[in-house]
Amino acid sequence: MKVDFWGQEFEVNMFVGCIGGFLIAIMSSMFGFGGGPFMVPLMTVALRLPMYIVVGSSLLAIFFNTAMGTARHMQFGNFDLVLFLAMFPAAIIGGYIGPMIAKKVSPTVVKRVACAGLLLLGLNLLGVY
Amino acid sequence: MNIKFRVLPIIALAMALLFAPRVQAEQPAAAPAVAPAAVASSAAATINIDKTSLNDGGDITVSGKAPAGSQVYVEVFSSDKKVRANRFDGKKDEKTGKIPYKFYITTDMPAFYKILVPKEMAGEFDKAKAAGKDWKYSEVLKKMGADAAYSAPAKIKIDNYQATIMASIIGSRGTLLPQMDEKATKSESMKLVKGRFRSPGKLLGANVEIQPDGTYTAKLNLPPSQAPGKYNVIVTAVTERIKEGDKETVKKVKSEVVSFDNKISFPTMYLNNAGTSINLLWPFLLCLVISIFGILMGAGGGFILNPILVTLFPLPHTIVAGTVMPTVLFAQATGIMNYNKVKFINWKLGIGIGCAMLVGGFIGPKLTEMITLDQFKFLFGWVLLVLAALMFWQTTPGYLANNKKEQAILKEFKKRAEAAVKAKG
Repeated sequence: MKVDFWGQEFEVNMFVGCIGGFLIAIMSSMFGFGGGPFMVPLMTVALRLPMYIVVGSSLLAIFFNTAMGTARHMQFGNFDLVLFLAMFPAAIIGGYIGPMIAKKVSPTVVKRVACAGLLLLGLNLLGVY
Repeated sequence: MNIKFRVLPIIALAMALLFAPRVQAEQPAAAPAVAPAAVASSAAATINIDKTSLNDGGDITVSGKAPAGSQVYVEVFSSDKKVRANRFDGKKDEKTGKIPYKFYITTDMPAFYKILVPKEMAGEFDKAKAAGKDWKYSEVLKKMGADAAYSAPAKIKIDNYQATIMASIIGSRGTLLPQMDEKATKSESMKLVKGRFRSPGKLLGANVEIQPDGTYTAKLNLPPSQAPGKYNVIVTAVTERIKEGDKETVKKVKSEVVSFDNKISFPTMYLNNAGTSINLLWPFLLCLVISIFGILMGAGGGFILNPILVTLFPLPHTIVAGTVMPTVLFAQATGIMNYNKVKFINWKLGIGIGCAMLVGGFIGPKLTEMITLDQFKFLFGWVLLVLAALMFWQTTPGYLANNKKEQAILKEFKKRAEAAVKAKG
């Protein structure tokens, strides 16, 4: 499939994109997270798209997944309103504070911290310690 | 001789008259429960609790008198708060070699359930604890003899569905099968109870102290973060177990039901679907910190928030997944709007992959419901390790150098895009 973006044309292998997106969507809706950290590498590495086209478009693709996942979770009665009301304002406040700090911290450092944190959390879930 | 015979009964009568009031006076002081002694020894068991109200958990002493020599079990359950519990049976049946693919679900599970057993059973209790997560609730109950006391969840309404792989993929529960009979319901309810409460420590306690005369005391500890409202306590005293071959007949008496009230106050609130109370400040703070961190990282925070919520709080994984997902919906929508303002979204690409993700998002939540918490943790653990690897890769020098170029182009494009929007407006 050919994609036109700001005067430049890209050739996208939609087959790989759709299969990858499908699998990522199953996983992320199953565990209840967005899926951005998987989508961006998929589109940059497997589809060889430049970052500037990926940031917005991956968000749009993920939105489909989140909306559908939310609806299905609600259908199965997995949604708890009280817990949601406790977390939703926090997510919005975080959305305002985050960008304010963002300029002051290096994303690389944040990613290293995240990497270590994820490793610990993952091993904990696997029952290693 | 004649005189002697005449005097003896008189002396006896005198003695009886002298001592009888004393004996009667002493009895209530020594054991207040003995007053209906005649009844207790033949049939009933009495029950007393020292508090009728708790403030977000606490200790209650249950005491009373059961027939002498009987085993006493104390059953405690939340009577007005019910939760959902479900189980997917995808384990191969060893006899037939077939996989049942059955899905069991109930909405009548008590939000709290516990059986206290005699202190002497502590050995069995420790064995169950040592068995780890593969312990079998029904077997442990049987070994402790506590299946005689298992009553509250035994008759809950359980729907069972015949699921197929295809049906699961399109996300249906399958076809509803006829109601199970009483015995099958009881047996399935035990599996659901185990799946819901998980650990032996939550479901059982070996701390009922019984005196030879049948008086018993037990300390009931209601942990914090339980459902508010009315709790019922019933005592089952097993007086006799008659074994005939494989069959065991159990003779038991039940006490009347006593209840106490568990009160909780804000910011601790009861989560209806999760079946637990929780101090809402914690999820709020966690979500705040993680969403800030997520923005710094350039991703959402769900994949950090969810594992923390399931490990730190007694929340079912279905509720966590189903509640965190909508919270990011809003952030994503605003993100899309902002990008769209500067024409930074390729709709063809986004919708193309989005359609595939739509299908994936349809299937995923069904899978959440089908797996147990342990499977959820195991799979999530691997997902996180892969993510950690991805994050690490993004901090390697090669990636960073490349990213710097990309980011420069990204900025350049954004500038142009913003300029274009301004020029138009």
